[in-house]
Amino acid sequence: MTRAIPGAVCTAMALTLLLAGCGGEDEPVDPNAPVTITLAGWSLSSTPEFKTLADGFRATHPNVTVELKEYDAANYDTQMIADLAAGTAPDVYVLKNLKNFYTYQSGGQLLDVSDAGSVLGALPALAPYQVDGKTYAVPYRQDSWVLYYNKDLFDTAKVPHPTGDWTWDDYAAMAKRLTAGLKAAGSTATGAYQHVWQSTAQGFALAQTPGADLLSGDYAYLKPYYQRSLDLQAAGAQPTFGTANTNKLTYQAQFGKQQSAMLLMGTWYVATLLNQRTSGDADTFEWGIAPAPQHDRSTTGTSATPVTFGDPTGMGINPKISKSKVPAAQAFLAYVAGEDAGKALAGIGITPARATAPITETLFALDGVPDDALSKFAYGTHEIRPENPVSRHTTGIQNVLADLHSAVMSDSKSLDEAITEAQARARSEVLTQ
Amino acid sequence: MAATLTRPRPGRSRLVWRNTIAGWSFILPNFVGFALLTLAPVMALFYLAFTNWNVFGVAEWTGLANFRRMWGDASFWTALRNTLYYTVLHIPLTMAAALGLALLLNRRIRGVGFFRTAAFFPYITSIVAIAVVWNQLFSPEYGPVNAFLRAVGVHSPPGWTTSADWSMPAVVIVGTWREMGYYMLLFLAGLQTIPTQLYEAAKIDGATAWQRFRHVTIPGLRPTTFFVVVMLTIGSFKVFDLILVMTEGGPGQSTLVLSQYIYQKGFVENQFGYASAVSIVLFAICFGVTAVQFWINNRRENR
Amino acid sequence: MTTIGLTTPAAPATMDGPATPAPGRRVASRGWRAAGYVALVLAVVALLLPFYWMVMSSLKTNSDVFTVPIKWVPDTLVWRNYVDIWQRSDMTTWLRNTLLLSVLVTLLQVLTGSFAAYGFARIRFPGRNLLFLAYIGTIAVPWQSYMIPQFILMSKLHLSNTLWAIVALQAFGAFGVFLMKQFYETIPEELSESARVDGLSEFGIYRRIMLPLSRPALASLTLLTFVTTWNDYLGPLIYLRSPELRTIQLGLRTFISQYNAEYALIMTGSVLSVLPVAVIFLLGQRHFVEGIATTGLKG
Repeated sequence: MTRAIPGAVCTAMALTLLLAGCGGEDEPVDPNAPVTITLAGWSLSSTPEFKTLADGFRATHPNVTVELKEYDAANYDTQMIADLAAGTAPDVYVLKNLKNFYTYQSGGQLLDVSDAGSVLGALPALAPYQVDGKTYAVPYRQDSWVLYYNKDLFDTAKVPHPTGDWTWDDYAAMAKRLTAGLKAAGSTATGAYQHVWQSTAQGFALAQTPGADLLSGDYAYLKPYYQRSLDLQAAGAQPTFGTANTNKLTYQAQFGKQQSAMLLMGTWYVATLLNQRTSGDADTFEWGIAPAPQHDRSTTGTSATPVTFGDPTGMGINPKISKSKVPAAQAFLAYVAGEDAGKALAGIGITPARATAPITETLFALDGVPDDALSKFAYGTHEIRPENPVSRHTTGIQNVLADLHSAVMSDSKSLDEAITEAQARARSEVLTQ
Repeated sequence: MAATLTRPRPGRSRLVWRNTIAGWSFILPNFVGFALLTLAPVMALFYLAFTNWNVFGVAEWTGLANFRRMWGDASFWTALRNTLYYTVLHIPLTMAAALGLALLLNRRIRGVGFFRTAAFFPYITSIVAIAVVWNQLFSPEYGPVNAFLRAVGVHSPPGWTTSADWSMPAVVIVGTWREMGYYMLLFLAGLQTIPTQLYEAAKIDGATAWQRFRHVTIPGLRPTTFFVVVMLTIGSFKVFDLILVMTEGGPGQSTLVLSQYIYQKGFVENQFGYASAVSIVLFAICFGVTAVQFWINNRRENR
Repeated sequence: MTTIGLTTPAAPATMDGPATPAPGRRVASRGWRAAGYVALVLAVVALLLPFYWMVMSSLKTNSDVFTVPIKWVPDTLVWRNYVDIWQRSDMTTWLRNTLLLSVLVTLLQVLTGSFAAYGFARIRFPGRNLLFLAYIGTIAVPWQSYMIPQFILMSKLHLSNTLWAIVALQAFGAFGVFLMKQFYETIPEELSESARVDGLSEFGIYRRIMLPLSRPALASLTLLTFVTTWNDYLGPLIYLRSPELRTIQLGLRTFISQYNAEYALIMTGSVLSVLPVAVIFLLGQRHFVEGIATTGLKG
């Protein structure tokens, strides 16, 4: 028995590791034959974008069928990593955000798609997907963070509507004014709602502060952003982090049910809000979009370009795809990042990666979308900086900063103490590993 | 085993042979599935812990590098400390509650079926619902728990899941509440193995209820208690889903536990080699504590 | 443990006082009994509070689920949620898959687990303790750490994205073996010895003596395995992709991520997922107290 144990260990290990290594086959290439490529998506019944893209592509490529494979929205990356590791992943898969692009690319799980990338022309969101001059994925969505505001509640509180020239201090002052005005009018709504995600403070701080660098290990730039948030929740101008967390407040209900007059959120919320108005899960009220508040006056006003943040959503090709399907998959990628797909996506309220005037017009022609000039400006004009700059350290740093976020926002730690700790942890646990 | 050793040689080897065949034929149906589907991947883990592996492609052998890194990793130590904190609080509380419930419900009283079901309900209720409800109950400003505390004169009640000091006790309370019905069930089954006439004999001897509990129930329950302690220990060291749905390790790192750290390093940061190394340490702790429990148990039994 | 007479008649499994207690004691015991009931009722209220909240939320409109302060009784009961969820989700498929899996896994686990446990508890052969240690050892390893190697293995066996993956995952666990071994060890060795003298084979002893004597333990194992499989979320999440394979927990989570703000419906689904298990428990709990004590063999 004593000899049998190491033997069993070796056999078991060899079995597991050997089985992991095999697989992969070649097929003859025939460009005109009917092809089926599989595409990973999530929550298919409530996320129409995948079907929109598949149908749109079939209109110009009748011999290619795009078959959708459903994944769990909340655990998409976990499931995808497992499938890629086991070699059972679909031919084309979505990169939900930039955070995991490094993992997939450096792990050799993305095919070089420079062919598809080269036909796209100038597309700012393409740059993060390029490594050493080669393109590994193409963007089809580019959301950015804007300020949603409830015009009705502004009127109730007798506060003038935003004009697109706010700094964060203006925003904070306005949130307090709104809260006081709403209270005077007998409403329980708060001036603002800050969702519990770390992005709500850190995304803006990173994008807007001059010289801020996620990978520098210096997080002093977060300080003014957190001071304002803490001040707003202490003043009662927004629900506290604790209440939002323990009562599972959703930003959709908070803004859609008119519990808060202002909400900072990504442009994906446009489609959600429209759907919820139709289904009755959101009230019907006048709303608008304004640019996100700015770090200082240099980028405020409609004559300047406001700075905000957001990660593109991309698509890449699984290297285990059979060779005969590669041209079809590349053509599909070129389509999803192109003008036609952009219009199709805008038609269902999604913000495509390509921000051209006709695409913006398509979105603003939808029923229920505000048509004032500021909303169009906020939606179409901005400089978007990535929330997750591509690097092997990004996820590690973001985890450290997530701990900072919950510690600071729950008042468990003082801001200075939390920043010092995060810097120490970033250096010892992430940047030097 | 002592009995078999003293038998004469030829008979012994035949007996050993026969017993081996018999033993393996009983174990084999389960062992085939177990060895292939669980033991093999677990063994692979012992190799992966010494590599740098990002799930994809080949694992690169790095020797003890992962373990050296762990030694200097403050978050690992925080997670270990929190895990011990949870374990030390959770085990006695759950044992006491589960045994108390089992004793109460091991009688013929009206509605015992309903009561037993009620006690088991927390365990079968969806963990999402549990997290939602308890978070609301614990809500510092509006929650009923703090409303009650304020009513009885506590001026500044704790912030529970939103406070770094109270988040772990809050999780322990929910963990105990959730699991006591499960262990109650095992204790109920264990109480059934204690012969009734032992109680009757004790009664005739004039033993009080406490004496009967101390000298009949406790010894009679020993195999069950042992099982419960081992499962509770391992379960507490491995606590994961409850933390994930209730606090996600926060605020800050106040409820970060080892299992969650493993998940974070593995599935969020894709450092599966390092995650495997942390798992090995967690395994070693669980296994060490369990082995000590086995040893104590065996010594008691052989006394 | 000491040997216990095998011929003593069975006694009811209660700790009640004698049939005709002295008058003074009756008052005292009545007082105790009442106090016990009060304690029990209080405990039950605490235990069931979240479940009560779940049921009440499932009967509210969505916007009423989260209110500050908590609304314990809804203004109007919205029964429509229970109709809606059947229309908007594949509840029937989810329930069918989960039931199928739970029954299959429980059957396999109880059968092979109790069988193996007998080998570990009663037959002495070289390497037994080491082998048992390997079983216990795997319990001590967190699943998420060997999930990926296991997933790769299962995929190569073409089991992933089939219901068999979950059966394979759950049915041969060490838990059942450990639990049953502990219970077998409480059964006096003398019973098996005398049966061996009577010429019963090892299998015969397992069938005729051990299985009947371990009924409460078997009932516990059955119930716990069933509930664990029923409530398992991470296993199905990793292994099942096709919508027609979804289990109830997986289905509910997908439902949540699809309709992330619809807590009333989510709670409706949760109530529906708990009910079948609750019913099975209510029916089965009788068996925990009808074991050894009433068979007369042991007690």
